[in-house]
Amino acid sequence: MIVTECTSCDEERAAGASFCEACGRKLAEPASEVELPAAKKDCVRCGAAGSVGDDGYCEECGMMAGRSRDHLEADGGPSGAAVSDRGRRHHRNEDAMWLAVGVEAADVVVCDGVSASFDPDAASDIAVRAAGELLAGARHPDEPAGEEGDPDGTADLEGLERPAGAAGLAGAVSHAIAGAAAAVASLAHTGDPRRAAANPACTIIAAAIRGPHVGYGWVGDSRIYWLGPEGPAEQLTEDDSWATHVIAMGVDPVTAMNDPKAHAITAWLGADAGPVAPRVRSFTASEPGHLILCSDGLWNYLPDAADFGSVVRDCLETANSLLGATRALVAYANAAGGADNITVALIPVRPAEPTTTELA
Amino acid sequence: MSYTAEAFQNEYLALGASEVNAIVTVTSTGGEGGRRTGGATEIIIVDASGSMQAEGRIAAARQAAKAAVECIDDGVHFAIIAGVSTAQQLFPAPGELAVSSAQSRAQAAVAIDRLQANGGTAMGAWLLLAAQLFEQRPGDIKHAILLTDGDNGERQGYLETVLERIKESFVCDCRGVGANWKVAELRKIADKMLGTVDIVAKPAELAESFQQMITAAMGKTSADVQLKVWTPVNASVRFVKQVEPLVADLTGKRAEDGPRAGRYPLGSWGQESRDYHICVDVPAGASGDEMLAARVHVMEGDTEHARCLVRAVWTDDTALSTKINRQVAHYTGQAELADAIQAGIAARESGDDRTATIKFGRAAQLAHASGNKATEELLAKVVDIEDPVTGTVRLKRKVAAEDEMALDTRSTKTVRVGWGQ
Repeated sequence: MIVTECTSCDEERAAGASFCEACGRKLAEPASEVELPAAKKDCVRCGAAGSVGDDGYCEECGMMAGRSRDHLEADGGPSGAAVSDRGRRHHRNEDAMWLAVGVEAADVVVCDGVSASFDPDAASDIAVRAAGELLAGARHPDEPAGEEGDPDGTADLEGLERPAGAAGLAGAVSHAIAGAAAAVASLAHTGDPRRAAANPACTIIAAAIRGPHVGYGWVGDSRIYWLGPEGPAEQLTEDDSWATHVIAMGVDPVTAMNDPKAHAITAWLGADAGPVAPRVRSFTASEPGHLILCSDGLWNYLPDAADFGSVVRDCLETANSLLGATRALVAYANAAGGADNITVALIPVRPAEPTTTELA
Repeated sequence: MSYTAEAFQNEYLALGASEVNAIVTVTSTGGEGGRRTGGATEIIIVDASGSMQAEGRIAAARQAAKAAVECIDDGVHFAIIAGVSTAQQLFPAPGELAVSSAQSRAQAAVAIDRLQANGGTAMGAWLLLAAQLFEQRPGDIKHAILLTDGDNGERQGYLETVLERIKESFVCDCRGVGANWKVAELRKIADKMLGTVDIVAKPAELAESFQQMITAAMGKTSADVQLKVWTPVNASVRFVKQVEPLVADLTGKRAEDGPRAGRYPLGSWGQESRDYHICVDVPAGASGDEMLAARVHVMEGDTEHARCLVRAVWTDDTALSTKINRQVAHYTGQAELADAIQAGIAARESGDDRTATIKFGRAAQLAHASGNKATEELLAKVVDIEDPVTGTVRLKRKVAAEDEMALDTRSTKTVRVGWGQ
């Protein structure tokens, strides 16, 4: 899932680094690009050796031998990990994810396809790629690249060369989400009438982490949480959902969440979404913690921020790696029912050295 | 020659469900510019039994045979068999095939004029001679026309024995003239020989009917196309039916091809499109499981022309699993329509008017709902349709034998999805 050589300049990767030291490009590839080995695989269902045919079905029992998106893992070592899983009830995984990591740096994108649209898996896939590539195109802040820019200088995002601190990162995230929105909207015009009638759509959450600085943004009801050393998790995003909307207007939260419309989203990426205005924010960590990005396949089982925090903490303590903890969170959602696709990304964030001034 | 195969289905199954249905549409563009690349052989079998003297049938048959011969393309091999108590080759010399040219066709016309009606009816012997002549031309597109006006006079079981021996070795379209022949008998032949059966009520219509059949046969560019159906372990094919343009059950024609596949003969193909209904029983899967229930290949010998997949995906989302595929529903209705008509006719013959009324009522309802106007019109000649929506019909007291036979032979004719809407 993570390549070890830079595909852009062929420079060998330095130990521990995931951004190329030579050209600054990300080394990680989107997980969904992983190709299946050419040799015929054994069937995981009936055990027949080398029986999986070119079309992905077992020549013996006929079962689908596993689509590449059914379960995906991205291991960024100590810098981050992400896992996407089909869950137990859905027939395919309509979530998608992107993880690119460097030394104390990471770009993460998670998208959740809107099931009511046609080909939502295509929407989430193109969205994470578009956003991920735009985030990777933004320069690493630690890289010497001229004078520090104006923190409020978000007017010319096309020419954005180096995000300045957390606010600059938020600008890059906003730019990335706008690119993802355009990419998803373009899917309605591929000539397939079904796509035109019910255009592919998805949610998006994206975060760029550089040292202590975090920029993030969202459209829809996928969530980003911050979990500090103690206390409950803090939900950084506000769902673009019917429930959140009516709770804000004063409706009892329990009543709102039990309404069948609770999960109806009020904003999304897609041709029918109109102009997308992603909400972006930023902060600079003052204490160590973890950023958790997840689709509703996980947070539906942990609506309470205190419960969410304690489960994540348990997973982090029990597992011996970030990937292990991320897997444990996916396993938690599956054990609870796995009613939806589950995607979780875990990124540790360390506070700035005492000398660093807060920029956000 | 290029083929496409496309499957129409609702692949989502409820938990515990094990029946997978799909409509597979096979379309062929025909040969290069619609031309045959290989050879073709045509044999015309004309009943010359004594009964053919009635109503000027033999004269009409002569006209029809001559008109048919005129439609045979240059270079196609052909022969004419006169059907009496034995099979007699009328043209060319016994045991030989002529090569079509202006000259040979003119010679054939002269020979046809010598055709006299005196003798019995021996369909088994006629078909056997045709099969022997066809054997000289392996690889050719082989087509025969069988015209008769009466019952087979051979001993019980002989025709069946012959058909078992020669089945699928050539395509035979059967036509009955008048109303003294048996639909069931010709249907048996057409079914085994992958051909069609129809009534030509008036002798004067024979020439046009023959011309149509020959023109269609000359348009065929592949001799022997087959549908190969692969199914996984512990799955079984419940049926394979052609459902368009005609209903024809192919299930019993399966020839095993490897451990998990079987081939079903589709006969000869030109530029055309046909629909098949495939039903497979599979072991039920768990929620989220996806299984390949059948892989369908369009084959000609060892060459695969096209393929498509019939899938099964189990889900507990009833919104998905209860959705009925339009094609599957439509053709299930068309097959039921053919069955209802044939059951209605059988019930009427045995004097069971109550069952006949119910069956014809259901048929009227199905024909109307699916937009099968041709069948609805044929039904209206046999019963008074009072309300096609509810299927209320009354048996007519007097029905012309020709009308009932036309309904019987054409009951298998279907229409494509959407014609009724």
